[in-house]
Amino acid sequence: MHSDPTDLIHRAQQGDRTAFEALYRAHAGRVYALCLRLTADRALAEERTQDAFVRAWERLATFRGESAFSSWLHRLTVNEVLLGRRAERRREQRVVTSDDPAALERPGAADTSSGSALDLEHAVAALPAGAREVFVLHDVEGYRHEEIAELTGIAVGTSKAQLFRARRLLREALNR
Amino acid sequence: MTGPHMATQLNEYVDGTLAAHLRASVEAHLADCAPCRAAVAELRSLSAAAASLPRSIEPGRDLWAGVETRIAQRATWNVQRFRWGAALAAAAVLVIALGLYRLLPPFAAHDRPAGEGAGWATVQADFDRATSELGLIFAAERARLRPETVALLERNLAIIDTAIAESRAALARDPASVELRGLFAAAARQKVELLRWAARVAAS
Repeated sequence: MHSDPTDLIHRAQQGDRTAFEALYRAHAGRVYALCLRLTADRALAEERTQDAFVRAWERLATFRGESAFSSWLHRLTVNEVLLGRRAERRREQRVVTSDDPAALERPGAADTSSGSALDLEHAVAALPAGAREVFVLHDVEGYRHEEIAELTGIAVGTSKAQLFRARRLLREALNR
Repeated sequence: MTGPHMATQLNEYVDGTLAAHLRASVEAHLADCAPCRAAVAELRSLSAAAASLPRSIEPGRDLWAGVETRIAQRATWNVQRFRWGAALAAAAVLVIALGLYRLLPPFAAHDRPAGEGAGWATVQADFDRATSELGLIFAAERARLRPETVALLERNLAIIDTAIAESRAALARDPASVELRGLFAAAARQKVELLRWAARVAAS
């Protein structure tokens, strides 16, 4: 039986953790997919998924229902991933390649994805971080360049340049 | 093979963000250029494939336990912080109330003999200490308040501080004045109440 999402949100805003867990169960897969594609690192994606839900719990009172809860949560998730990346970049230089065994191992998803989709996932994971983030946000998630610029702190022109670079690299990788 | 300038225009063309006059020019070019037509087809195919990737991927393990633990820890920390702040605020109010009660009982206000300077100095020192403690709580928690609220609080605190400073200056000239002590007490109560409210709201 599915609970009414509005009721769940309202109860979670009152501090009901059971209601928040139900929201987590309903949205975890979507949030994790976003984190996994943005980070290209399974362990990091799990960490960022948890960060996003902890942050969502803390900020639930600020959700007024002007947008869909999922949109609010995804935007908050993107912020968490990008904040985490900036902190991570200060600590170490992360290099992700298509040979990275952790990247895009997706238990439970392989049987539902076609070979070409999996090829695309791997090629996206191998992109340089800046190009990957813009490609995921624009072409996978459907954000506009203006929104990406606002979220990531880059110029609209830079967002476009990163997207076109990502597409060029992906076409090259997929045509090999 | 398409050059960088053409590649940008082809991407914009596929995204539908190309200006109308450039769009017509690209379409004219595409009519004569097979490699560019192939590039456009590839870009469209790539964007379509990206948009149709699975929206949801289940994590390899259940992440809820970690989320729940962190939420519970933060809740405990918030309660402890609120209790600590509330206790300090309550103590500050008690200090002020007891001190003022001792020196300003309403029924004795007009019969109060002069020469209680030492006791009055103690009340003022207690007030300074109490407002300093509340001020520290407010300073530690102010980031949790909206900037407009902080600005309003600071404006009001500045007004009250001016009233307190003027009362003190007048009391320095006329230490036995019951009216001046009453003015100081009123301003002191306002400051404590305002800081107490700010600390409570910020910690909630």
